[in-house]
Amino acid sequence: MIIQFLSDTWLLWVLLSIGGLLWWSGRDSQYFNYIFHRYQLALATLLIVSAVVFSLMDVLPGDCAEKYIAYKSTQGEMITQADIQAERVRMGLDKSLPERWGRWVTNLTLRGDLGFSCAKRQSVNLALGDRFWMSFMFCIAGLVFAYLIAVPFGILSAFTINKSWTDKNPQNSKGQQLVNSAFLSLQKLLDLTLRIISYLGLALPNFLLALTIILLYVFAGEAMPTGLFSDQWSNVPWFGSHGFETGKLYDFLGHIWLPIFVIGWSATALQLQTVRALVVDESNKLYVDAARARGVDGMALWAGYPVRHSISPLFNSIGFDFMRVFNDLPIVAVVIGLTDSAALLIEALAMTNDQELAAAILFLVALVVISMNFITDAVLAVIDPRVRKSVLGN
Amino acid sequence: MNALLTRFGRKAKPKNDDSYYTAGQMALIKARFKRKASGVIAAWVLGTIVFMGLFAPFFSPVDPTIRGADIEYRRGAPQVVKFWDENGFSLTPFTYTYTKTRSRIDLKALAGGGLSALDALTSSGALTASSQNKYDVDRVQRRYIQFFSKGWEYSLIDLSIGNLDMDIRWDRHLLGVGQGQLHLMGTDEDGKDVLSRTLHAVWITISIAIVALVVKLIVSLFVGGVSGYFGGRVDTIMMSITEAVRVIPPIPIYLACAVALSQLDLTSVQRYFAIALVIGALDFATLGRRLRTHILTERNQDYVLAAQLCGASTWRIIWRHLIPSFSSYIIVDTLINFPYVILAETSLSFLGLGLTEPVNSLGVLLQKAQDPDIQQNMLWQFSPVAVFVVLIMAFVFVGDALRDAADPYSEKK
Repeated sequence: MIIQFLSDTWLLWVLLSIGGLLWWSGRDSQYFNYIFHRYQLALATLLIVSAVVFSLMDVLPGDCAEKYIAYKSTQGEMITQADIQAERVRMGLDKSLPERWGRWVTNLTLRGDLGFSCAKRQSVNLALGDRFWMSFMFCIAGLVFAYLIAVPFGILSAFTINKSWTDKNPQNSKGQQLVNSAFLSLQKLLDLTLRIISYLGLALPNFLLALTIILLYVFAGEAMPTGLFSDQWSNVPWFGSHGFETGKLYDFLGHIWLPIFVIGWSATALQLQTVRALVVDESNKLYVDAARARGVDGMALWAGYPVRHSISPLFNSIGFDFMRVFNDLPIVAVVIGLTDSAALLIEALAMTNDQELAAAILFLVALVVISMNFITDAVLAVIDPRVRKSVLGN
Repeated sequence: MNALLTRFGRKAKPKNDDSYYTAGQMALIKARFKRKASGVIAAWVLGTIVFMGLFAPFFSPVDPTIRGADIEYRRGAPQVVKFWDENGFSLTPFTYTYTKTRSRIDLKALAGGGLSALDALTSSGALTASSQNKYDVDRVQRRYIQFFSKGWEYSLIDLSIGNLDMDIRWDRHLLGVGQGQLHLMGTDEDGKDVLSRTLHAVWITISIAIVALVVKLIVSLFVGGVSGYFGGRVDTIMMSITEAVRVIPPIPIYLACAVALSQLDLTSVQRYFAIALVIGALDFATLGRRLRTHILTERNQDYVLAAQLCGASTWRIIWRHLIPSFSSYIIVDTLINFPYVILAETSLSFLGLGLTEPVNSLGVLLQKAQDPDIQQNMLWQFSPVAVFVVLIMAFVFVGDALRDAADPYSEKK
């Protein structure tokens, strides 16, 4: 009996115990007090997000009862208007929007139940399955790709911004000047190429890039790497009779690069510009001049001062970067033919008008963004002395 | 020469007279902007595209609607403009006479009902998409290009308000040919000219972006102004809603609204405004938050207190005193957001949920690139993609240069 009750309401207890733990630790620690405050804020934001998402999805035409009944009528039953009305009452759709939202949120906070998908005629949790994790991994991989390229090259680009093409330092010998000039020109050229590529990344939207790549495959007359596996491997299990199937892994890698590259593309362009602007901003500040006056020079100056200071705002924006990447994912999924939750989202929005499924996916994305923001805030309060000071007030 | 050098940043020395110190903010921004070559070039490109889009009927050789469709030249390849060939040189550019080859399908053979005749017809390739693209070029019959040629009548500038008729109509076009129609970028399945469609689409897309950005500006000013000026509980509530809107990916939300719109029975003009309204109204989070922070710090300044003591109303203080102090940021931010709004519109149209055929918008034209038939047989229909990329690039470059120019600390010490 009690176990039944606990298992029905497990999520609520998890949330409450985390809150209680944070509150308990926050009594004598200012840091945990801050974390507890952020935790409350995150939960409140989630509540508002769920309200916004739920009420926005209500504008989608049609409702569950009509769809369910329409399905039944394809099975050969005669349907009247009264049947639809009865079905509506049974599903609770005759209630007002706030009441339905309240029920949805209660189910969600009690046991993580995301509702019922009427187009798929199963619970949203089942319909989503691993697909949300798949999208999550796509976005994370795209972000890692973007950061790996954008951070080093953005710093390099900022490094060259105020340099001239040639070295005219009279203290250096002629040969030295020539070598330095060659290096400087190389850096400037690299910077110029990167800037043009990053502008192109902003101008060429993801779906056009995906189309272009697919088009190249069409011209080359090869099979397009759409989806995740080619037909030959899609039904082969990972661990077959010969142990681990390496062929399947190669096939997977041959397909997975396309979505990751396409998703990462515009994120890279944006990040490159952000990193560059951040580092340039920091390098113009007085403390850099002060360090230079103390005799810090070269790499030590750059790594120790402007770069170090521009990392934390970058780290802080991971959550929103994730949101931006996911924002592009549905259209890319349509072009490439993926079957992850982004494709499901498009299907739910544009084709089947499945309100609860769409609301659940959007809510999950917001949940990821909010948790990432929470985590980055918590981490930054520990490692960044500037944040620590403003948070803890000493 | 000197002015040119200054423009390209070679001789950019600050003047020693007082004009630098007495110049207004806008004059300083303008001077700084002119020093950045990439921004100036991009501004010229952008200006040219927008100008051509604004006067699209004049610049386009053919009527882009179904009325101007060339039935004789459907799925037609681009017609090349030449100055010389083996028959001699000509100062006036010319193009050859292009005619489509009609594949003769012998339907009589099918009349007997023989399946083998049907098989023969299908396997002969006469029905494939690529065979419909074949055309003949008559190299002897030159068609000379006429400038300011007479064509379909259009309204050049329409200033009619109510009953006041101020519609200026004209029938001259920049390019045209004597016989038939000129298709510099080929035609689509209906025989509509791709170049003319693209030119008309540019202005439609930009005007959607303008409407969306105006709506966005109004909503952001409202949210940021109210939240920042009143502070306290109003601020807390408004900012938590803004925070919640900020973490939801916008394109799915646009999609949901577009689907809801498609249920309503809207004319294409209403639909166009509705989409601009949706895109603009939901995009207030970033600008609204910036405005609020700015106003929160500014509202305790002495000039606000002075205005309050003079008896100015709250709205007057927000509109006339607080927001103008932030105007350069707002203008720059609006320009920087142009490409993103255009991208949102194209994404919607690309999925078939924004504007739809037969409206000419860049998104509608880009959507065609998805069609395998076009990918394989009608590559010239990809030319709107190039125009689109150039347009967005120009916007990004101008926005970037303007951002640097508007930043008072960007000048080297």
